[in-house]
Amino acid sequence: MATTPSKTRAPRKASSTAVKPAKAVPVGLIPTVFQPRLEALSTAKSWVGWAGYQSPTVIDNIEFEYFAIRNQSTLFDVSPMHKYRITGPDAETMLNRLVTRDVRKIGTGRVGYVLWCDEEGMVIDDGTLFRFAENDFRLCCQERMLGWMLDAAWGFDVAILDESDTVSGLSLQGPTSFSILKAAGLSAVETLKPFDLAEVEPGLWISRTGFTGDLGYELWMANDDGLALWDRLWDAAKDWGLRAIGFEALNLARIEAGFIAARVDFQPILTTLRLGRGRTPLELGFDRLVDFEKGHFNGRRALLRQRAQGLRTHLVKIELGGFKPADGALLYHRKTKEVGHVTSGIWSPTTKRNIALAEFNAPYGGRIQDDLWAEIYVHEEGQWDRRLVPVTVQTGPFFSHRRARQTPPDIY
Amino acid sequence: MEQRSTNTNFDAIVIGGGHNGLAAAATLARKGKRVCVLERASTLGGMMAAEAVTDGVDAAPTPPRLAHLLYNLNPKVERELGLRVQAEPLTTVSLSPTSQHVQIDGSRALNMDGSAHAQATAFSTLHDRLTRYAGLLSRLAVQSPPKLEGAWSDPDTFSELLSLGRLGLGIRGMGKREMREFLRVLLTNVHDLMVDELGDGPLAGAMSADAVRGAFSGPKAPGTLFSLLYRLGNGRGKVLAPVGGMGAVVQAFEDAATRAGCVIKCEQGVARVLVENDRVQGVELTNGERLNAKAVLSSLGPMATIDLAGLAQFDVETVRRSRKMRAKGSVAKLNMVLSALPVFSGLPTALHGARLLLAPSSTYVERAFNPVKYGESSQDPCLELFFPNAKQSDQPQALSALVSFVPHTPAGGEWTTETRDRVIQRVVETLEPLAPGIKSLVQQAELLTPADIEAETGSPGGHWHHGEMGIDQILNVRPINGMAHYSCGVAGLYLCGASAHPGGDITGAPGRNSALQALKDGAL
Repeated sequence: MATTPSKTRAPRKASSTAVKPAKAVPVGLIPTVFQPRLEALSTAKSWVGWAGYQSPTVIDNIEFEYFAIRNQSTLFDVSPMHKYRITGPDAETMLNRLVTRDVRKIGTGRVGYVLWCDEEGMVIDDGTLFRFAENDFRLCCQERMLGWMLDAAWGFDVAILDESDTVSGLSLQGPTSFSILKAAGLSAVETLKPFDLAEVEPGLWISRTGFTGDLGYELWMANDDGLALWDRLWDAAKDWGLRAIGFEALNLARIEAGFIAARVDFQPILTTLRLGRGRTPLELGFDRLVDFEKGHFNGRRALLRQRAQGLRTHLVKIELGGFKPADGALLYHRKTKEVGHVTSGIWSPTTKRNIALAEFNAPYGGRIQDDLWAEIYVHEEGQWDRRLVPVTVQTGPFFSHRRARQTPPDIY
Repeated sequence: MEQRSTNTNFDAIVIGGGHNGLAAAATLARKGKRVCVLERASTLGGMMAAEAVTDGVDAAPTPPRLAHLLYNLNPKVERELGLRVQAEPLTTVSLSPTSQHVQIDGSRALNMDGSAHAQATAFSTLHDRLTRYAGLLSRLAVQSPPKLEGAWSDPDTFSELLSLGRLGLGIRGMGKREMREFLRVLLTNVHDLMVDELGDGPLAGAMSADAVRGAFSGPKAPGTLFSLLYRLGNGRGKVLAPVGGMGAVVQAFEDAATRAGCVIKCEQGVARVLVENDRVQGVELTNGERLNAKAVLSSLGPMATIDLAGLAQFDVETVRRSRKMRAKGSVAKLNMVLSALPVFSGLPTALHGARLLLAPSSTYVERAFNPVKYGESSQDPCLELFFPNAKQSDQPQALSALVSFVPHTPAGGEWTTETRDRVIQRVVETLEPLAPGIKSLVQQAELLTPADIEAETGSPGGHWHHGEMGIDQILNVRPINGMAHYSCGVAGLYLCGASAHPGGDITGAPGRNSALQALKDGAL
């Protein structure tokens, strides 16, 4: 019996004609158009899946990459972001029903940070809405949204195009980012104010936006034009200290800027299975981005009810005692009653503070802000210790610099 | 100027003068509200409106245009509105191709010679049981479905729990064995129960046909027993022929509304429901005129109502559910004029005026349903026939027939004269062996397909019940999740047609309940 199977097998190829081994597919992910450059620069070889694409967590070293964001310039590949083009006569009306803020107030050549909700007012996702023209928008977001967009567009005279796989994006962030663009011959961005958007060259749209709270730009182009632009920036950046970065460094910067991240600081409602895990924009602290006066939008009635009845939770920025990052720490009132947890916590390298985003059960973090504590576990040479550190609720961003707003930006 | 303002300002406007629209209007007006009913057509009544057109035949009798019988009028609606409907109970005959017809009088099953049918005892037991179950469930029909959203201490929630508790007690009160049986059969299919209890023949066929008439499902589909219980809900299984025809029923509803002080306007189509600040302001008519009102109650289905108020006023989910609501009509109405009363073999002359069913077995009904899934009409259709003038047996006759199953839109395109004629021809050919010579008696025939019914009455999909009465579309999820309490989101906008709870048939309950909910909400 043991000898028979070999007869039925296809004959093995002779070793002399052996085919070349198949090119390895790293972690089964799709390379973005910038992957050849990232691959070449990467010493860490640390990749993560982002919407099916291969994305670096670290290219070389987190500290170098983080400090480049604040002191030089950095390139982060944002191509895996989901991008939906909305065009047609009803585009503004349709989007105004979709998102909580008033789209009519986002002019042509502007970008708006928007949130959108389900019928119960729970946030589906947040993102940036680009207005190219009167009837031409792009929504950039973290979550896959095509089904929802098609549902939201039903009955309106609009076309929805999923550009996620055809448009590439580079986030150029840092104090010298303007200098690099200028050196690359893209000085047209000089007049761009924060959240401005312009087509500086045919097919190249640049917005003064980013996820770092610093001076920075996002560059959007067709996939085919991606590598050429990368090389152009890289060549122009010789004297300006450009570094490719991964997600980890960016995450430090975004927490310093006080920006929330989907699936981290809130759970996108369409991805949750358990009841009550969604959060409303009011609970996430975005009252100013909810325009109850603009007419109907998805979830408006539910949000009005919640505004009248009171919020369940408050997502706030906090500063903590000590220096141990408090990610995931439980929060207490009067050191005894558990009232919340940290959703994103880091030691902030620039502000030299222990900072975090935290979710409290109302009214803690809202009306009650005194006598709040975080429980931190400390490990020292095999011994665990539990410490309660004081918590202070913050208002503005932890990191804020005038260069982020100055127009035209200085040459650093 | 003063005169004008009183003519255009109302507390409530009801869109659609079908029986539910009129019931809603009358209920509101009886509470002292100024109500205006707007009907697009020239006559009231919706699906039981007016007579079929029979031009060209002198002194021809006129079959009822759509609905032809009454069996589920809600007694509470009848009492509250003071409806004056006179009707006579009608015998049902389930026709058999072998002339072994069965006469059904309530829970009695008889052979044509008057002797008890072989399954008479089983049928009587089953019928009594089903009407008892139906009676229990019909309690749910006269109030908004329970929300159970609030805390126990919330008065609304408490009263909902109380009424559910009473239903529970009612079920328990039947005794352990009956309660078990109730729970066993409630969600089951009608075919299995009928065949188990009665064997498959004209009796089972009649019950199955009654269960699925108007539905987009065959008797083997789950939940079809529930639709039978719904049908049995108010009349203990009795079928009534209104004296003076369906027109008299329309008149009774119209009288109730007029007596209560409603303004009724026909030939007034609504172009838009006006909304400002998420609140209804009134309507704009197709002639451009504006009528103001604090509340608008729409007899239309959810999607048509949403379209009138503007899509952007509603949540994405609401629109999605509305457009995906299951509402595929499956019944066509065939109105015929015959030169004389046909003679059905083996059927006594006196029974020619009965409700005649052609559903010789439950399997026959299931097979009749199959083609409609593919956009085709039944080769061997299920029929409900009624000769309103059978008593004048020497006169030319009107034949009113409900033909199951006929698709809303035939596979491959729109209805044409040819495809309509083919359905008519199939019906006549199906009847010919039962009533030899009927073919030669036909003087005139008009087929109203579900598409025609939709165009004429606004019923979603031309569906007999304004939306499938499936388990997924009743009670808290009728017509769709989120609209079960008649409110459509926009303050002051309500659904009052058969697409709303409890559902179809000439009950008047959706209209009445909707009006009461609007009053309870303080919408007007």
